[in-house]
Amino acid sequence: MLLTIRQLQVKYGDQTALQIDQPISFERGERIGVIGSNGAGKTTLVKALLGLVEYQGKVITQLRPEQMAVHMQTNSYISTMPVRCVMEMILNTSIKENKELQKLIDLFEFGPCLPKRYNALSGGQKQKFTVIMVMMQKAELTFYDEVTSGLDFESRQKLMDKLAQWYRDKEESLVIVSHYYAELEQLADKILLLDQGRVVAYGKTGELFRKYCGDAVYILDNNPENQELTCRFQRLKAPDHLIALSCHKQEEGKLLALLVEHNVNFKRSNSDIEIMSINAKEAKHGKMPLL
Amino acid sequence: MENKKCSFRMIRYELRNINGNFMPHFFGIVFPNMMSMIFTTAIGKQVPDAVRPETMVSIIICMALIMPMSIMFLGYGALYSQEVENEIPLRMHLYGYCEKSLSMAKVIAHLIFLSIAFIIYGIFQEIMLDIPKPAFSSLLCLLLSLYLIGVMFLLMVHSLANIFRKFSVTFGVSMFIYFLLMMLTGMMGISTDQLPKALQGVAKVFPMTYISNDFADFWQGGSYNFMPYIQSCIFLGAVTGILAMYAQYRNRRVGSK
Repeated sequence: MLLTIRQLQVKYGDQTALQIDQPISFERGERIGVIGSNGAGKTTLVKALLGLVEYQGKVITQLRPEQMAVHMQTNSYISTMPVRCVMEMILNTSIKENKELQKLIDLFEFGPCLPKRYNALSGGQKQKFTVIMVMMQKAELTFYDEVTSGLDFESRQKLMDKLAQWYRDKEESLVIVSHYYAELEQLADKILLLDQGRVVAYGKTGELFRKYCGDAVYILDNNPENQELTCRFQRLKAPDHLIALSCHKQEEGKLLALLVEHNVNFKRSNSDIEIMSINAKEAKHGKMPLL
Repeated sequence: MENKKCSFRMIRYELRNINGNFMPHFFGIVFPNMMSMIFTTAIGKQVPDAVRPETMVSIIICMALIMPMSIMFLGYGALYSQEVENEIPLRMHLYGYCEKSLSMAKVIAHLIFLSIAFIIYGIFQEIMLDIPKPAFSSLLCLLLSLYLIGVMFLLMVHSLANIFRKFSVTFGVSMFIYFLLMMLTGMMGISTDQLPKALQGVAKVFPMTYISNDFADFWQGGSYNFMPYIQSCIFLGAVTGILAMYAQYRNRRVGSK
């Protein structure tokens, strides 16, 4: 067991920003995706675990806060010297002599940025700069809080690909905070879903998906024809422009045949975190039965 | 990941950081040299020949006193409070650097910069002015005092920045303290005994008062009662210590209530 949270409560003034009643444990080597909309308490959770905000309750762990690495939402550095010097100081190493660091710099294509000052870097380069140094810390538990915030779609995708690539064969535990579902699908094997400071769901991605969505979901455009065509199948809550159909193995053939027969475009998924999250929230608020 | 200790790399980083800041260069090197030139020229002409060397020494000591305050109080305060406002020290803590290591590197780097400023000042005075040679013990005493004051002021403004967490507030407060102390302790051309009685009492709690008013008396040797000076150092050290403890308490990693 790497870390256990028990009865955690964080208040800002009179407002409860985060309340976790049921115990939550992070195991060694797990990749936990923390998801929720703005104000869900994601960053507050990270700050509490790092001892940066006062909380009530317990965080049981052998790790000291300084043994955890973190990429905060905003990270600042001095701009009185090139980032190469800042990096070498923070990591207490020389880029020339450190092969692993060179590998990371190459992976993130950060080499040309090294002579620049921090305030001259673009948003994506700034994120990469911190990511490289956080990775080099090789902490047992690393937090990535909104690591792609402020980046365009392509840069986000690239950064997440690089992160996934780097951690593929590593054993470090990760907590990845995001409100982009697609980012977590690449990296997380467990999901902690927060809403308005409360835990909606926590568990392995596959298990949560089966619990709230069934074996698979079929996602198609929301139009009258598709609504009529799929009215026999169990509909899940989805964004307004989409129809999400819950599908168990027994009935999947029928649905598939129907969609192909009527030439309907669709997407099939057995790990769609967005649909799963929406339905977990609905179930939590008692609006939808569990499957 | 272990707590990172103060290293040569950190000191070099801090030196580069100081070098990127305009304040210490101007207020710590240019300003005292320029002021010593102006004061010695202006005042030197007005005093009789018999007391001129002593007056010159007094001015030079006063201007030397500006250096630790400008570099390690005003300059450092401006630089560090901006870092605090941008949460750079927090970022460093999250990389495993403890407050002690960070502060130590900053103190050492500033002491190196201060030493360079002293060397430039010494060379400049030697070339430009005809100053009597000091006794080794007097010079040593002056230098150690200046370093000590510098360290105390650096830790004081470091704590103030950590308490206020805003550049504007820290810079405003440090500017106010800087000029107030310069006026009170005789560095602005008004000697302490010209101040009203109440202010003289206040001035006596600061070591700078003794340095600017008395140290010229034993420049070429002689005896001096150091007790009031030591007491004032203890007082300033205590104020610095209290501020540092309070700042550390406010910025501690909190955790469970």
